[in-house]
Amino acid sequence: MASCPLSLIAPGTNATVTMVNAGEGLRRRLYELGLVPEANVTVVTADRGSIIVSVAGCRYALSRGMAMKILVAPEMVAV
Amino acid sequence: MKKAITVALAGNPNVGKTTLFNTLTGSRQHVGNWPGVTVEKKEGIREYSGRTIEVTDLPGTYSLTAYSADEVVARNFIIEDRPDVVVQVVDASNLERNLYLTMQLAELGRPVIIALNMVDVAEGRGDTIDEKRLAELLAMPVIRTVGTSGEGLLDLLDAVVAIAAKGEKHTHTIGYGDDAEALISDLVGILDDDPDLAPRYPLRWLAVRLIEGDADIRRVVSGSSVGDAVSARLADIDFDEYEATLADKRYEAIGAILPQACTICVRKMTGSDMIDRVVTNKYLGIPIFLALMWGAFQLTFAVAEPFMAGIEYIFGWLGEGVAASVGPEWLASLLGDGVIGGVGGVLVFVPNIFILFLILSILEGSGYLARGAFIMDRLMYAIGLPGKSFIPMLMGFGCNVPAIMSTRTIEDERDRLITILVNPFISCGARLPVYILFAGVFFGRDAGNVIFGMYILGILVAILSAKLFRSTVLPGESSPFIMEMPPYRIPTLKNALLNMWEKGSTYLKKAGGIILIGSLIVWFLASYPAGVGYGSEESFAGMIGKFVEPLVAPLGLDWKIAVALIFGFVAKEIVVSSLGVLYGAEEGSAALSDALLADPALSAAGALAVMVFVLLYMPCVATLAVIKKETGSWRWAGFSVLYGLVVAWSLAFVTFHVAGFFLGGA
Repeated sequence: MASCPLSLIAPGTNATVTMVNAGEGLRRRLYELGLVPEANVTVVTADRGSIIVSVAGCRYALSRGMAMKILVAPEMVAV
Repeated sequence: MKKAITVALAGNPNVGKTTLFNTLTGSRQHVGNWPGVTVEKKEGIREYSGRTIEVTDLPGTYSLTAYSADEVVARNFIIEDRPDVVVQVVDASNLERNLYLTMQLAELGRPVIIALNMVDVAEGRGDTIDEKRLAELLAMPVIRTVGTSGEGLLDLLDAVVAIAAKGEKHTHTIGYGDDAEALISDLVGILDDDPDLAPRYPLRWLAVRLIEGDADIRRVVSGSSVGDAVSARLADIDFDEYEATLADKRYEAIGAILPQACTICVRKMTGSDMIDRVVTNKYLGIPIFLALMWGAFQLTFAVAEPFMAGIEYIFGWLGEGVAASVGPEWLASLLGDGVIGGVGGVLVFVPNIFILFLILSILEGSGYLARGAFIMDRLMYAIGLPGKSFIPMLMGFGCNVPAIMSTRTIEDERDRLITILVNPFISCGARLPVYILFAGVFFGRDAGNVIFGMYILGILVAILSAKLFRSTVLPGESSPFIMEMPPYRIPTLKNALLNMWEKGSTYLKKAGGIILIGSLIVWFLASYPAGVGYGSEESFAGMIGKFVEPLVAPLGLDWKIAVALIFGFVAKEIVVSSLGVLYGAEEGSAALSDALLADPALSAAGALAVMVFVLLYMPCVATLAVIKKETGSWRWAGFSVLYGLVVAWSLAFVTFHVAGFFLGGA
């Protein structure tokens, strides 16, 4: 399935990171948190200005803008 | 025959776009490839009310940020081929996500029509969508469609023909905040000088893409006659940050529109983690946070009471023993009034401090505090600070010194400076004894509520000050953030107790060190020059107090409180110990609380004014030193003192008079 920004997937969805579209510094920071290509992420909540994601057993709050930069392939779910 | 109307069909993947395309064009389709890329291009034709409508099905995309070939194709078609109308097919059951693309389409300068698809799914789930209101807010037509049955199709075609006949450009755009907007208008000014760009591109969109670091667009502009001027303007810009900020602004715009046009529009809740869902819930999050904090202060007060009574009894007994058995009168006074009255007065609050620290340790260890920061993110954003700034604020409840040091994790210099400057208003543990003393004496059973109110007042003053600084001395936008959410766990008693001891013991050390010294100085000032009555108006303390009394008199306070406030600058607990020393004189061995209650110069309104003043008046010496260190200049430290004094005096004045009106005594 095609990639889309992490900020756009529904809560409860599992996805695989395909790319981190950020500048050197920010990319390094996201990589340090485990938001690397091939990593599995789950969106825990997304009903506020920012979202909580779970990656490699850790939780992070990301602003929507940050989450735009992380492209993921959502797991296929029945529509 | 009139010229054909060209329509581009845009939308997220899986919103029923292809179904709608098929229903629109029937069998008159042509499938090919977009030039240069292996993305399928589908075109179809429809005859409607005497017009030929050529429909191009764009690839399904979530946004137009040009991260993928699909996105580049979609946006280049709209920019270069200039369709008469862009129809965005929107999944009504997932409006928020779909509207992000709408926000970007709106910037491309072509008229946009929303085909609100899958309304049946959304309404079957209980959402109610007011498409007229949505159309108003988006400033574009919104037509309900059901792709499979063809419902709404004719309405859509009518709208297409009507919009195409008007031939208007779409001009509705969203604001990106002062900072970005200034940059955008600079760039638009520069780009406007090139005669080739303006006819080909919407300039505002070009400017937005440039500051979002779009490499494609940068290449286009570099090749133009204004390439150098644009490069110069963009020389020291953090594209990542702008890109994230602009994305946040688009979501903000959507967030403002959605609740007005859709009654529920919530997503299905699936998955396992109910705790995060509940405690960070849009509606429950803040009430839960406040209830927990309120409970913490009530508990602090209730649990500590018997311990306090015990400690008070011990010091009373010690005081009597000293008065009865120590030889020289001055030594008895030094030990009884100075040491026992001063340090004892502060030690009485050890149980409160320890219990508060214990509760904070438990909340921290459980992982809840980070959620508190997350909940406050929206509020923090509204006052112009990143969510991260809330952690130093929470830490400030313990002590402002480590709280201010913890601001080092905030990247943006101005965000950090504001967070530092408002931190002293967050009520630290040292201020608690003052509240407990005054609230306990004057408000009895309501003491817990009064104290909770002080904490809330501190938070409010911090928030309003941040807003004030943001709009005056330190303008700017808050930056996007990442914050770690530690896993939930049940804190072990051992860890919580250790953590409590670590923080609480600094309080004990202070009592033995700086507070003891402060108490001795106050005792000295209260006892000399030789021959005056102890703690009388003729003593040094009395002279100092009388000198500044006119300043605090409008707050309903007398010279004794004035002296205590002056010494409180060293450490806020000293307000209590100084009062212990000063009142010790008149009331013999009676507890300080009885002495305060008996003082005709003090009223309940005055007590509130003291609490408000102590909460806000200025950072203590240690906090001031750390502000100087972290901001690198005495300028901000001095500013913090002056600002604090002005705010404290004004609010204490208002408190005294308003409270006096209701409680009497003003």
